[in-house]
Amino acid sequence: MRASLRLVELAGPVGLVLLAALVGTTVSRSNEIYFINALLAVSIVVALYTFIGNSGVLSFGHISFVAVGAWTAGVLSVPQDEKPALMPYLFGFLRDTTVGNVESLALAALVGGVFALLVGLPLMRLSGLAAGIATFAVLEITNNVLRYWEKIGPGLTTFSSVPETTDLLQATVAALVVIGAAFAYQRSRYGRQLRAAREDPAAARAVGISIYRQRLGAFVLSGALAGLAGGLYVHFLPINADVVYLDLTFITLAMLVIGGITSLWGAVVGALAVSALDSVLANAENGIDLFGTTVDLRPGTRIVVVSALMALVLILRPGGLTGGRELSLPRLGRSRGVEG
Amino acid sequence: MIGVRKTVLIAVAAVVAAGAAVAVSAAAPKQAQTVTIGWAYDGSGAMAPFDGPALATAKSYVATLNKRSKRFKLRIVTCDTQGNKPAVAKACAARLLGQGAQVIFTTCDVDFAAPVVQESINAGRLTIAPCIGTDQMGPKRFGPKGRLAFSFGNVAQDEGSAMAEYAWSRGWRSASLATDTVIVYFRNVVQAFEARWRQLGGTIVTKETYQSLGGNQASWQNVVTRLNARKADVIVTSTAAAFGAQVPIINGLRTLGNNTPILNSWAGDGNYWYPANPKVTNYYYVTYASAFGDDPNRLVNQMVQRNKDAIAKAGSTGGFITGPAAIDGLLVALRRTNGNTSGAALAAQMERFRNVPTLSGKVSFSRALHTVFGRQYRVMQVQQNQPKFLRLIKAKVVPKI
Repeated sequence: MRASLRLVELAGPVGLVLLAALVGTTVSRSNEIYFINALLAVSIVVALYTFIGNSGVLSFGHISFVAVGAWTAGVLSVPQDEKPALMPYLFGFLRDTTVGNVESLALAALVGGVFALLVGLPLMRLSGLAAGIATFAVLEITNNVLRYWEKIGPGLTTFSSVPETTDLLQATVAALVVIGAAFAYQRSRYGRQLRAAREDPAAARAVGISIYRQRLGAFVLSGALAGLAGGLYVHFLPINADVVYLDLTFITLAMLVIGGITSLWGAVVGALAVSALDSVLANAENGIDLFGTTVDLRPGTRIVVVSALMALVLILRPGGLTGGRELSLPRLGRSRGVEG
Repeated sequence: MIGVRKTVLIAVAAVVAAGAAVAVSAAAPKQAQTVTIGWAYDGSGAMAPFDGPALATAKSYVATLNKRSKRFKLRIVTCDTQGNKPAVAKACAARLLGQGAQVIFTTCDVDFAAPVVQESINAGRLTIAPCIGTDQMGPKRFGPKGRLAFSFGNVAQDEGSAMAEYAWSRGWRSASLATDTVIVYFRNVVQAFEARWRQLGGTIVTKETYQSLGGNQASWQNVVTRLNARKADVIVTSTAAAFGAQVPIINGLRTLGNNTPILNSWAGDGNYWYPANPKVTNYYYVTYASAFGDDPNRLVNQMVQRNKDAIAKAGSTGGFITGPAAIDGLLVALRRTNGNTSGAALAAQMERFRNVPTLSGKVSFSRALHTVFGRQYRVMQVQQNQPKFLRLIKAKVVPKI
């Protein structure tokens, strides 16, 4: 019984990602790009969920880990002879080192995780608004360092010439890996301890749980997953420091909240639902055929409609589309969130 | 005998038939070849004031050309990159290619253009920016596939040098530099100005930096305060009003009573940003063409007249000339390839361009250099929100930066 419940909890997010990937194979190249983008959003939002969902601590700084992952993979993947034009001031060892796709992604995850560890050591003692503001400070610092320190990257210049290896297959596999890691963590002893601390910190401390250590562990894991997502992102699109900054921070947090902040299922549903809506409207601003009728929306409609619908969803379902619950079979009747 | 006659008759009939066929085929009008241009433009973001006029005039120019051209009919399909969001821009390029685009046109900044450029050159298509202003639109930035990428814009080194020579010709000898760090083109223009200015013997009073798009507004006021604190003959910058910082900086200086001449690059073109108070005065910039009907080239003024509303709606920047100029260049390449639209064939021809006439002047490219050097710039002056053409200038020396 318990094993089948667990299977359903994992099968929901995995099935949805596979369905998105499957549909992505049937559409035009132009729409396929939106599907890949949506799958990358799944990776980022699930990385956010791994920390925020399990700990209950809001983080505005996770896109920093996406950014350092992107920088790591990008700097190390640009062909050596094209680095001088794009990144003329690089440190010698970065200028002289070029690695393959898999290595660059592994390094992106590693650097994301290590950076999260360094940041988390002082910050994971904070809770509530203080933690949110402190993580936002991390985002600001990271963005400014990446933007202006040209010895570690292109600075304000957009990454170009990074091999475009993130296709539908790789984005799908990565999303499944991230979901698998998040699921394994939330089912683990550590994940349960962190959620117990989320529900009742005093009781958790009373039974000997180190909230600091548990939060730090989740922060490092989610930093590594976000770093991986950043690596995939730079292998998909030519991006600059502004792309991995405020807009991405708020849209991915919105995806998590809209889906349901306390469940993996919610993270995946939120990421795919908001991405789908955003993509359809972006397409519609350039004219699309919908059931035999050409829909051509005015420029700017996308932002207005997505924002309005996000607000509407939160008014009607404050707990998000999934109510913060994992997917369950009706007869098996699951309780709120993952069992603590 | 009968057999011989029969053979002769058959031979004659065959010759007549063949002759008739040749005559008919020669007399029949040859079908013009349709070439589809996919144009990915920014309709609502920071590049809209530059992409908009280029696209608007290109459309009307193509309509005129199609009426008289017997050889090529051009068709433009468009896609709005919605503020050059990377995923939307990349999807736009794919959409245009899916609609049969044989040549892709992209936005006027190499960083913003990168998603479109990469999607297009990966598909083997010639990719043209009407007005990217750096030497990075080509192999330098995009590697071997960058051979397919060209810009009909000015190179920043050339433009910055022309600005320095103009400032020197005005008798200005000291300059304060304010560098907008947000894009390569802005930075390179000011770097080139400084390099050429020093060659000419000018002095630099102060060097300030700021970031327009996404930057901190308070830092713009700091720049104003520091520029105001040191007296110079001219304040030099390269930024665009659509990027956010230009108006606060100019307004800030003028409000403080600082009426030092301000010299900007083509980025500072257009009248879409003029504030009602204080009015823009003692403001200079160089550009491709005057959008205000007083350009020294009669053809340019005719184009302005024909597209008055579209140019005004898009902000009246000289960028309007870059669309038709790029079309001129493309047509030359198409003629030279005999209509072969493969990216490699067209690029090979464009690399051989030497002083090819276009509406915005003569254009030359080379294997290494895919952006235009040696343009004759229009120097414009704005007094009391009234822009007017002053003179032409061409950089005598292009410094290394």
